[in-house]
Amino acid sequence: MKKILTIGAITIGMIASSCHGKQLVTNHISCCPPTGTTAPITIATTLQAQSSIYQLTGKWTDEHNQSLELRDLKGKVRVIAMIFTHCTYACPRLVQDMKAIADSLPAAEKNKVGFVLVSFDAQRDDPAQLARFASQQGLDDHWTLLHGDPRQIRELSMVLNVKYQDAGDNTYTHSNAILILDKQGSVIRSLEGLEAQTSVADNEINRLVNR
Amino acid sequence: MKLPATSVFILLFLLPPVRPQAQLEAARSVRAHGQVNTEMIRIPAGKFQPFLLAADQKHERHVAAFLLGQHAVTNAEFLQFVKANPQWRRSSVPRLFADNNYLSQWAGDENIGNAAIRRSPVTNISWFAANAYCKWLGKRLPSLDEWEYAAAARPENADPGADLSRIILGWYDHPTPAILPAVESTYRNTLGLWDMHGLVWEWVDDFNSVMLQGGNFYCAAGSAGTANKADYAAYMRYAFRESLQATYTVGSLGFRCAQDIK
Repeated sequence: MKKILTIGAITIGMIASSCHGKQLVTNHISCCPPTGTTAPITIATTLQAQSSIYQLTGKWTDEHNQSLELRDLKGKVRVIAMIFTHCTYACPRLVQDMKAIADSLPAAEKNKVGFVLVSFDAQRDDPAQLARFASQQGLDDHWTLLHGDPRQIRELSMVLNVKYQDAGDNTYTHSNAILILDKQGSVIRSLEGLEAQTSVADNEINRLVNR
Repeated sequence: MKLPATSVFILLFLLPPVRPQAQLEAARSVRAHGQVNTEMIRIPAGKFQPFLLAADQKHERHVAAFLLGQHAVTNAEFLQFVKANPQWRRSSVPRLFADNNYLSQWAGDENIGNAAIRRSPVTNISWFAANAYCKWLGKRLPSLDEWEYAAAARPENADPGADLSRIILGWYDHPTPAILPAVESTYRNTLGLWDMHGLVWEWVDDFNSVMLQGGNFYCAAGSAGTANKADYAAYMRYAFRESLQATYTVGSLGFRCAQDIK
């Protein structure tokens, strides 16, 4: 029993200490209180540039087989999620939630916002498969679907704070998050879980489009 | 402790039949990167029982042969990297890639300061920094499976009956010392790797694949289960990994690099 208590104390200590050096954006692990609602207001411009995910280098390929870097996404507010197209459970709902956000945007904002889906599945989600998926889902040219190599995908998951595991047979267990990025590429908000949060997203996007 | 001759024989037998390739690799890296000690140990292919399993995963996982650093990267080695890559200086690193505790044990941007920690594992480095260091050497971080598989090898001088998880728990009972001991100060395992337990925690490439909590955050929620609930030492490693984010820097968290065998 003493041993169990010791271990518990150490575990709590470690979790607490790892929360100490927290980053600026929201995170979904319950040990750290979310700060996403205050961070965008308090952080300085220089820190925002420092937190832009567009600092990640490396070439991706989109559903039109065009090569691009993440920094090419700069200039628009971006709504981004990581999925894989053979996913039967959570990913279709993530895409539905993103479509609901897209549909609810006022006409004046539509061209200032882009939607991005990045696949975990480097093997099967090649550009052709991504194009098929876009067409099946009725995703218009406000959407960008990205294929990359496994190392880039892992790096991107780290900056977006998305957890995933290759569970074998090309299926992936992953956290379900829709992230909203400002025009410079900083993660401003992370919408977690499988619940449509369209109005929260709309308010955030509206604020960022007009900033 | 004195070992019987038979066990010495067995240990020699267990040592990987390696070295020429690893030494070649080391020689090449030393030429390119100055004083960085890059000796890698060849880890033979094998199977291991992972601690965490998704419902549909096999209970044994196969790991292909790979190379792994014989000890954790030291402060002195990491300094070479920072000198060659000024964007990884303490004062230059973007907050996207490391929190503000990054390399806080050093006296300055390119100055370790305390000579006592030159050969200690570098800690207070983020996943991004560890990843960049390995990339700089043409290497990579080990995967979680690779690391766990390599760390499951027993100490080369352990009593035949000793339980590895007990040895590890003994380490967990002690707080991290103010000055970390040097690498190669705890034990070498039968693969030839130093300090896999007992010195620092180590980053792995896919630490963010650990999802101990169920709940509605995860696709296929509830499918992850633990393989061996009595293995507290493993549970603590996985719980620690789950609590991390890639920007975090922790005083007891270091890393070593791995490499594919071409």
